[in-house]
Amino acid sequence: MESMRRTELRQLRAEPRPAEDTDRKPDLAGLMSRVARGDHRAFELLYGELAGPVYGVVRQVLRDPAQSEEVAQEVLLEIWRTASRFDPAKGSPAAWALTIAHRRAVDRVRSETASSRREEKAALDPGSVDDDVAEVVAATLDRQRVRRCLDGLTELQRESIKLAYYGGYSYPQVAQLLDVALGTVKTRIRDGLIRMRDCLEVEW
Amino acid sequence: MVKAMRDDSHVLSGAYALDALSEPERDSFERHLQHCPLCTDEVRGLRETAARLGLAKTLDPPPQLRSRVLAAAYRTRQLPPVGDRIGLDRRRTRARKPFAVRPGHAQHGRQGRLLGRPLVPRLAGALAAAAVVVVATLGISQSLTRHQPGGAPAASAAISRVVTAPDARTETERTSAGGTVTVVVSADRQAAVVSAAGMRSLPAAQTYQLWVMGPHGSARSAGLLSGTGRAGPVLASGVEPGDQIGITVEPAGGTSSPTTAPVIAVPV
Repeated sequence: MESMRRTELRQLRAEPRPAEDTDRKPDLAGLMSRVARGDHRAFELLYGELAGPVYGVVRQVLRDPAQSEEVAQEVLLEIWRTASRFDPAKGSPAAWALTIAHRRAVDRVRSETASSRREEKAALDPGSVDDDVAEVVAATLDRQRVRRCLDGLTELQRESIKLAYYGGYSYPQVAQLLDVALGTVKTRIRDGLIRMRDCLEVEW
Repeated sequence: MVKAMRDDSHVLSGAYALDALSEPERDSFERHLQHCPLCTDEVRGLRETAARLGLAKTLDPPPQLRSRVLAAAYRTRQLPPVGDRIGLDRRRTRARKPFAVRPGHAQHGRQGRLLGRPLVPRLAGALAAAAVVVVATLGISQSLTRHQPGGAPAASAAISRVVTAPDARTETERTSAGGTVTVVVSADRQAAVVSAAGMRSLPAAQTYQLWVMGPHGSARSAGLLSGTGRAGPVLASGVEPGDQIGITVEPAGGTSSPTTAPVIAVPV
């Protein structure tokens, strides 16, 4: 994402791209504005960029492959439908897409009366939440970096963030799972995320 | 008078960015965001961070998903853009209307509304003295420009350091030009981060200017704020206990010392 952001900036400045970036992905913001104008070809390219991350996030939260596929489809269609509402001043296209994906997945979890299926699968051991799906090789570098930064957090920060984001739990549920006070969880999630942001050198 | 921001709201930014709030809390936090550009900025950074957590979980989707999504797109009408940009244009048009303040003339009308606030007399003194003791250092401030081409992420990092400092204190106050100003001060970092929302928009010939005002009447410019009335976050460095952070209306391009009564002054 960081490099995407850099790419966007560079294009705004109309500078030539350096060689290191020539094999880089198409510019997402540019694709977004084409998609907003109803360009199906651009949407195909955008699908190529975003379907993996969207499906990955949804699957991480929902676990169930069939349900994840259904929700990922809704999310990707939502991206098509609402592309004109995307505002680059408010964040990167990937963050926008993944915010939609994560929220949809979480809404699904919380609205589900019979969420027992998921709960059986995601046993309350926080460590099991993130490790049992096969990830694609392309994400390896990202994954390593995220893991390294997660390792730099305190245990409470790390577990709070993983349960909230990867587990899709609300912070009161996180507090209950970790057996700590509500206020503590709120604070740990925030300061943990701030540390992650700085460790990952996120630009925004 | 001083409406200090509830710490409680601010600390929810992390949980909000991770969709870990209940629906009522989410709604109320979103209302809070509308009046807190600083929180909005923080949420934006945390959202990007969450997205990195998400990208790390990228998975190959089932192959049949692609054709289903692309086919569905052909059958689905897209939403029109929202009127956000139209709104902006309107605001600009309004901003062109003449505004009664000329450089060098205090805004008595607005100042009147400030009366009764204990800090005003102190401040008026400070500003009068400031006209003599010119310590303005226009241009040393680092207004945040990262959303513009060539923007400096360094300013953004400096701002983060203040906002996330352990001793950071946040205050949100209404200004006499309408809207609110949020100031986050860290004594450890000797700096403040200021953002404004909803202040009256100014004609093109005027701008808002940010000042660090010392207890003995000195005033140092900490940069210009957009005349749209929505600005920041902007970093004001070299802030010490006893200083006040003030905003005045000045001629476009700014001045070396304040020429009007401040629309707001927040003690550090």
